[in-house]
Amino acid sequence: MPLEPVVPLLPEVLGGPTHHHLPLLLDLSFREGYVRSIIYVSLYVSLTAVALSTLFSVPVAILVGFSEFPGKQFVKSVVNTGMGFPSVVVGLLVLFAVSNQGPLGSLDLVFTREAMIMSQFVLATPPITAITLAAVSGVDDGVRDAARALGGTRLDVALVVLKEARYGIATAILAGFGRAVSEVGSVLIVGGNITGADGISKTRTLTTAIQLEARQGQYETAMVLGAVLVALVLTVNAVVVHFGDEGVAG
Amino acid sequence: MLRATAVSQSFGGERVLDDLSIEVDAGEVLGVIGPSGVGKTTLLRTLALSLEPDEGSVTLEGTDVWAAGEADRLALRRRVGMVFQEASLFDGSVGHNVEYGIRVRKPWSDRIAAAVGLAGPPDAVHESLDVVGMTDKVNQHADSLSGGEAQRVSFARALAYDPDVLLLDEPTSDLDPRNTAVIEEAIDEARNRGIGVVVATHDMHQAERVADRVAVLLDDGVTEVGPTDVIFDDPTDERTRKFISGELVY
Ligand SMILES: Nc1ncnc2c1ncn2[C@@H]1O[C@H](COP(=O)(O)OP(=O)(O)OP(=O)(O)O)[C@@H](O)[C@H]1O
Ligand SMILES: [Mg+2]
Repeated sequence: MPLEPVVPLLPEVLGGPTHHHLPLLLDLSFREGYVRSIIYVSLYVSLTAVALSTLFSVPVAILVGFSEFPGKQFVKSVVNTGMGFPSVVVGLLVLFAVSNQGPLGSLDLVFTREAMIMSQFVLATPPITAITLAAVSGVDDGVRDAARALGGTRLDVALVVLKEARYGIATAILAGFGRAVSEVGSVLIVGGNITGADGISKTRTLTTAIQLEARQGQYETAMVLGAVLVALVLTVNAVVVHFGDEGVAG
Repeated sequence: MLRATAVSQSFGGERVLDDLSIEVDAGEVLGVIGPSGVGKTTLLRTLALSLEPDEGSVTLEGTDVWAAGEADRLALRRRVGMVFQEASLFDGSVGHNVEYGIRVRKPWSDRIAAAVGLAGPPDAVHESLDVVGMTDKVNQHADSLSGGEAQRVSFARALAYDPDVLLLDEPTSDLDPRNTAVIEEAIDEARNRGIGVVVATHDMHQAERVADRVAVLLDDGVTEVGPTDVIFDDPTDERTRKFISGELVY
C-alpha cells in the first residue's frame, strides 16, 4: 500500500489547515504556496511535453509499424537507443539550442518552462514511440486485413489498430510521463530551478526541488515532495489504466 | 460480374498464379478446389481487390479495378466482401463486429453519433446474425466465442453490408459438422440474395455440396472450370480426374 503515507499528507500540503500533531508538516505551513507552485510547474511541464510527444509519437509509430521501407530497422534502433539517452546530455543540447549561440536563440527561452517542455519532449518521445510501435506491431495481421477487406480506408484500419493496441499505447504514454516527471538532469540544466522573489516556483519542479531541499538539509520538505511525486505518478497510472479498461469508441 | 483475366502473381520470384482467368456471376457459387499451397488464398485476395496482380486485370462489372483511381477503387473494393481462413474478430461485441462494414461506409457525422450512443445498430446486423443463427449473442464479447461461433460471426460480418461478391477462404476448415452445416446454409442464403460467392476449399465434398461451378487449381493454374457435376463426374482434363479421384496426391 504505497499510497497510505501519502494520502493523509496531501490535504496539508495542498492547503488544508496545519495540524500540530503532524510535526513533519510544521515548517510547511507557510510554504504551501511554494509546494503548490512546484506541483503545478511539474505537472504543466510534464503533461504538456507528454501530450505533444504523444501527438507526434503515435502517428509515427503507426506509420513505421505499417509500412515496409529500407531503413526501418535503423529507425527502430535509433528509437531504442534514444530510450537510454542520458537526460543531462539532452538538457545540454536543448540549452545550447535555445542559448544565444543556438538556432533558437532569438526566442529567448533559456531558463523557461518552454525550454523544459522541449527537453522533456525529447526525453519522452523515444519510450512512447518504441512502446507504441511494439504494441502496434503486435496487433494481429488478420485484424488489419479484416478491417481493410470489410471496406475500411487506411484511416479506418489505423483506428482499428489503435483500439486493439490501446493498453500498450496507454503503457507507452505512462512510461513517457514517468520518465518526464521524475527526471532531474535536463530540467535542472534548461530550467535553472528558479523561484521568484515571492518564493513561488517559476521553473522549479518536484525533482529539482527535492534535490535542492535535500542538499540544504530540509529532509521533511524533500520527503513530502517525494511523496507527492510518487502519488502523482501512481494517480496518472491509475487514470490511464482506467481509460484503457473503458475502451475507445471505434 | 467479377472477373480476373490472365492474372499472374509472384512472391519473391516464385510464380503462384500464372496467367489465370476466372469469373463469378451474380447469384452463383463458384468452388475453388486445389491442394494446399497452390494459391487459393492468393487468388481470393486478388479477387478481393486487396492484392494487385503483377500481370493481367481484374474487372468488376467491366470496370478495370487497378486502372481506376484510388477513390473509385475503394468504391469497387467495398462491393466485395472476404471472409478469411482465421476469424480475426475485432476487440468488441459481436454486434460491433458485424456492424463494422456498415459503419465504415457511413459519413463521419453518423459514425460519431453512433459512437456516443445516439443511433442504434442497423437492422442488417440482426438480419445477418440471423443467417448464421447468432442473434442471441449480439452483445457477447468476441473474445468469449467458440471457434465455430467466431467463424460464423466473421461470415455475418461480411454479409451485413450486402456485398455483390463474397469470397470465402476455407470457411469451415476448423469447424465441426454442425457449424459447417450452418455456414453451408448461409452460403445458400447469400446466393439467394443474388450475391456471387467464391468458396476456396480443400474439402471436395463441400465443393460438391455448395457450388454451382467448380474451378480446379493445380500447380500451374486452373486446369478446368465447369458445372459441379461435370467436374466431379466427367472431367475432361486428365489431371483434374486424377485429383478428384485421389490418384493425384499432393
Ligand atoms: N505474401 C506472401 N509472401 C510470400 N509468399 C506468399 C505470400 N502469400 C502466399 N505466398 C506463397 O504463395 C503460395 C500459395 O499460397 P496460398 O496461401 O495462396 O495457398 P493456398 O492454396 O491458399 O494454400 P492452403 O490450402 O494451405 O491455404 C505459397 O507457396 C505461399 O508460401
Ligand atoms: Mg489458403
